[in-house]
Amino acid sequence: MPVKPLEIKLRHQPGFVIIDLHGDIDGFAEQALNAAYAEAEGREPGTILLNFKDVPYINSTGIALIVGLLARARKSHRRLFVYGLSEHYAEIFQITRLADFMSVFSDEDSALTGVRTAAL
Amino acid sequence: MTGLQRVTLARVAEPGRADPLQARKLDLLSLSISAGEVEDKNVEQWRTLAEFSLSSEPGNERSASEQVTWAVKDLKLGLHRLERLKTAVAEATMNAMEHGNKYRPDLPVFVRVLISESESALSVQITDRGGDQPIPDPEMPDLSAKLAGQQTPRGWGLFLIEKMVDEMHVTSEKEHHTIELILHLKGAEHAGQTA
Repeated sequence: MPVKPLEIKLRHQPGFVIIDLHGDIDGFAEQALNAAYAEAEGREPGTILLNFKDVPYINSTGIALIVGLLARARKSHRRLFVYGLSEHYAEIFQITRLADFMSVFSDEDSALTGVRTAAL
Repeated sequence: MTGLQRVTLARVAEPGRADPLQARKLDLLSLSISAGEVEDKNVEQWRTLAEFSLSSEPGNERSASEQVTWAVKDLKLGLHRLERLKTAVAEATMNAMEHGNKYRPDLPVFVRVLISESESALSVQITDRGGDQPIPDPEMPDLSAKLAGQQTPRGWGLFLIEKMVDEMHVTSEKEHHTIELILHLKGAEHAGQTA
């Protein structure tokens, strides 16, 4: 599997922002990930969604980056949802207990249902 | 046969062993065995599937993971097991490059992939040059403390490695650390993780 540097696109919607992640979440991703998150939270959304559907690789440094984003979200009372994790990385989210602190969905449809439910 | 291989052979030949502390006792025991004594009938032989080295540069853990994947391709590990092995190899290599070799490109990380003669176990040994620095025992990182800013967000590597393989052993010599990853390829443990 070739190294795939992280590229990020943001989709702003009323009340939430989707951060589409394309590439590896490792030490090289730190700047891009933090910048994208900062841009996403600039519009004061209630929920930020991380889309991992096109993320082939996450290492322990990447886990630490996600912990950092989760800490920021909690500090500003913002919900952080994730979806699109492969079975392997969904397991890692369970093992690390990240899944206990953020809502994990299988796909975008179920995540958006979660957003709507949380907004009620 | 290297001393390290003798250690591995003695450990894997011990039936019913799961306690890492017991394994470490066996390390010490087996290190004291002379080459002649290793020819015990209970000691299984190992075959090398691959040996390679990498310079200690960020990102090279991916290469280690890919080369190990190639080396074990005929073992038909199953996707779930293979993904776990790849993560463990990548994390152990990163650990060796960062903490052992301080990301000095001139200090290589050595990787050796071995399979037992009966094909009941796979061993991946990852060696760095940081033998004078202790490798801490993996602890369950406290995510609550990390989220509260009371712990660094990092510190997941050894913990993840231990969760991804059936056994993890750390040995230190004068100049080298070795993290050895063991996958059991037969029996209930294997059957339970290949789905």
